[in-house]
Amino acid sequence: MSDPTQIPETPLFDRERSKQGYRMNKMAMSLGKPENRAAFKADEEAFLDSYGLSAEEKAAVMARDWHRMVALGGNLFFILKIAAVDPAVMTEIGAAQAQMEHADFLKQRLGKE
Amino acid sequence: MAEIIGGVGTSHVPSIGIAIDKGLVDTPDWKPFFDGYIPGKQWMADKKPDVAVVIFNDHGNTFFLDRVPTFAVGVAESYTPVDEGWGPRAVPDFEGAVDLSWHLVDQLVDNHFDPMVCREIEVDHGLQVPMELFFGRPEHWPVKVVPIWVNTIQYPIPTPQRCWEMGKLLRKAIESFPGDERVVIMGTGGLSHQLQGSRAGFINREADQAWLDGIANDYEKYRDMTREDYVEQFGSEGAELIMWLVMRAAMDDKVELKHKHYYAPASMTGAGMVVLENA
Repeated sequence: MSDPTQIPETPLFDRERSKQGYRMNKMAMSLGKPENRAAFKADEEAFLDSYGLSAEEKAAVMARDWHRMVALGGNLFFILKIAAVDPAVMTEIGAAQAQMEHADFLKQRLGKE
Repeated sequence: MAEIIGGVGTSHVPSIGIAIDKGLVDTPDWKPFFDGYIPGKQWMADKKPDVAVVIFNDHGNTFFLDRVPTFAVGVAESYTPVDEGWGPRAVPDFEGAVDLSWHLVDQLVDNHFDPMVCREIEVDHGLQVPMELFFGRPEHWPVKVVPIWVNTIQYPIPTPQRCWEMGKLLRKAIESFPGDERVVIMGTGGLSHQLQGSRAGFINREADQAWLDGIANDYEKYRDMTREDYVEQFGSEGAELIMWLVMRAAMDDKVELKHKHYYAPASMTGAGMVVLENA
């Protein structure tokens, strides 16, 4: 890979992001197991602590701030599992990435009326 | 010897599976998408393959970042749908074509292509959805499968050229397998989409249409593109299209484009398929 950052507005999941987001992604990956989903629901902060998330990472997860989670190295395929515990629609997550209103996002990006 | 009866390229968007699960196939949002697959399904029913070699990527469901194989080949007797967070989907288990899988592994490694070999592993929507699109939702799948995973999540992902080489070798390997299996190759993923960053929601309908037309007999430009080109034209997750190259390389130089379908957006993705036969 020469310089993936040259593609505008496109954070490729490279070594830096992978290293940076490892704990958050590991926490999210664990939500593939029902017992971990139950623990997340029962006491979210304690659950995040058990994966060693920083204060900044915890705040982003607890606010369901999808833009911030990705900025901190979260990879969508992992953090999407948070939306399985606390339902969010994919296009809402997309709109949050683009920092657009959902209706505008559907219309302008996806061409939906 | 085993025979390749055709190649298909198809999207594997998870919301397609959810639409099937929720009975939304005939709703206005989804009907045009699913209707476009009817000829592909019919083609598959007529061709009656015994084995599907499915090239796809895991989406952070089976592989975590603790180990990221660039290529992996399944040699299991059976593959169960993985829990992607909502509980495993009610999709039948996939029976593995064990002997063919091992033969492919032998041939790949003998030819200096070294995949991870997976004896016990679950499969996510990347394999499930293409199977549902072409075989429906039977009680038992009419084919055995050979799953081949390609890393498209963590960079470095393999180059398009390496995917092409994989396809070339796969063909030799399949055609040297002592048996009379009829094999269909399924290259999956795409089409254009981007789920992350401020360009999220990027769909390139023009590039998608050109891809569906060109992958049959104007494939050279796609084979020769860089990963960056893929990301730029098809979006960061649209780079999954490199997995169609594995399928295309396993076919003849000249092929017949039997069926083609495009629909956008499926969720946030340009979606569609091609069915190819050797000319």
